Amino acid sequence: MKTITIDPITRLEGHGKISIFLNKDGNVENAYLQIPELRGFERFAQGRRAEDMPQITSRICGVCPVAHHFAATKALDDAFNVKPTSAAKKLRELMYCGYYIYDHILHFYYLGGPDFIVGPDAPAAKRNVLGVIEKAGIEVGKEVIKHRSYGQKITGILGGKATHPVCGLPGGVSKGLNKDEVKDIEKMVKSCIDFAKFSLKLFDDIVLKNKDYVSLIKSDPYQLKTYNMGLVDDKNKVNFYDGKIRVTNQEGKEHIKFDGKDYYNKISEHVEEWSYMKFPYLKDIGWKGLVDGKNSGIYRVGPLGRLNAADGMATPLADKEYKRMFETLGGRPINSTLAFHWARLIELLYATERAYELVNDKEITSDKIRNPVGEPGEGIGVVEAARGTLIHHYKLDKKGLIEKANLIVATTNNAGAITMSIRDAAKGVISKGKVDDGILNKVEMAFRAYDPCFACATHTLSGGMPLQVDIYNNRKNLYKTYKRLGE
Amino acid sequence: MKKTIILGVGNPILRDDGVGIHVAEELKKHIKKPGVTIDSAFTGGMNLLDLMVDHDRAILIDAVKLKNKKLGDVGLYGFGELSAFNTCNPHDVSLPQAVDLAKKLGENRIPTDIKVVGINIGELNCEFGEELSSEIEKAIPKAVELVKKEVESDG
Repeated sequence: MKTITIDPITRLEGHGKISIFLNKDGNVENAYLQIPELRGFERFAQGRRAEDMPQITSRICGVCPVAHHFAATKALDDAFNVKPTSAAKKLRELMYCGYYIYDHILHFYYLGGPDFIVGPDAPAAKRNVLGVIEKAGIEVGKEVIKHRSYGQKITGILGGKATHPVCGLPGGVSKGLNKDEVKDIEKMVKSCIDFAKFSLKLFDDIVLKNKDYVSLIKSDPYQLKTYNMGLVDDKNKVNFYDGKIRVTNQEGKEHIKFDGKDYYNKISEHVEEWSYMKFPYLKDIGWKGLVDGKNSGIYRVGPLGRLNAADGMATPLADKEYKRMFETLGGRPINSTLAFHWARLIELLYATERAYELVNDKEITSDKIRNPVGEPGEGIGVVEAARGTLIHHYKLDKKGLIEKANLIVATTNNAGAITMSIRDAAKGVISKGKVDDGILNKVEMAFRAYDPCFACATHTLSGGMPLQVDIYNNRKNLYKTYKRLGE
Repeated sequence: MKKTIILGVGNPILRDDGVGIHVAEELKKHIKKPGVTIDSAFTGGMNLLDLMVDHDRAILIDAVKLKNKKLGDVGLYGFGELSAFNTCNPHDVSLPQAVDLAKKLGENRIPTDIKVVGINIGELNCEFGEELSSEIEKAIPKAVELVKKEVESDG
């Protein structure tokens, strides 16, 4: 048996490793994704003051500090039996929109987009944001930088700090907005709406008008028929910050809808011996292995999961784009993994429109930003991180110290789906042992679409990050190694 | 004197990974000069660059992984010497890439002098915690001295 190992995955600088096993004909037998897991969070959290959790958990990883911050804050609302004031909820949601703006821009232009804008077969050295700028122009590059930084600034104004917010408190927020700040934010948001529209137009021109790309999106190796999950509002429209968890089935119909507090009755986690990652699945359907279809409890989260799990977007322009996407790709649900990129841009537009509504809300400058807390107990907080449903669950003792903490992060929710997507893409593009840079990139694309986040990707500086592909013979002896430099 | 920013980089809750932040905290006791800012960055890539712009000089203090060095070895490196800067953020771009990009887009506020004080931590133990291992703890005074010397070097 031959073994191909892709390690590490470029542009996602964690320690993720893809191993592809070939049979004696050189076709793919199976493929696995392995990631290291950060250990000991529960022990680390034990005995800490509950109100420190929004700050501590926002340091778990630099990717979704705002998502962890508010999942923790919402868990504290619940644990201290307090609801945030109406103004505080709006301030939190506005800040959350800022986070989506910079996060989705970053993924599309820097990480996922280069595969399309520069091309999946382009040399690795070109498939990055610099390649995007070469193709789309310096002016576009400037707009990308500007609007990403607007997202950061909005988050910074509301959160106290751009990257690691300090504003979330049980029952509200620590800081309101004054009229000048409102004006600043409004101006930035207006510009972001135009930029989101521009980004969708760019996707249209470069991806959708290219028949090869459309057939790549629709091709078999990138299809997965799982359940889909995401938070929805009371009209079943996508919501990032609050709502109920809705799961839709392979026909696009509602399977279950539940309160986040009920997650442990609805979701279980399966353990595989080859992976540190746990594989969540729907309890009522059960674990049937790494397979898709109605009888398998595996579900997808993230932009495509959310859009599939909802009936539309709550703002007019995004809703129009939502309808157009489903019409173009053949109705709900869309099973194509590569459609995550399109869904992400529609969400970017929604985030900007929603931010505009919120910043123009009369209540946004209210000083009623905090309610007094009650007695400490147990709390669960759920938000949609940019890459999917994120759950924080804490149990507090009588003094308000953490007794137990459990987190289910977005990439974990997608673990089963990501593993299957990699396997199916590998099976689809590798045959007779032929592997080159472009082929391996098409495997990575299946993975990158999810925008996965390995909390444990360290920031350690090292002397080079090559992409290594090891091929072993059927006695598992290494006979060939491909190497290319990381970016 | 060059307008200088000293940044401790790392994740403060990932044990040895956060050593740069510990060094920056210690430096605050030793360096009090106009024109020198000391801060911590629990982030990398684009966000790190945001903190660096509008300075003439940036000194980053960070955990590094170097195979031919002993644990706790401290060294001063030029920006080009370490070829990959992995952020704690797998979603972000690397710092050299962020710098390249910004230059290409005409950003002229990037420090012309960027140096890295690296503390070799070897393989990272992926376990949450705020304490440093003893070899790495011992490296802090050395790193502090190295940064002080570097700051003084152009008075």
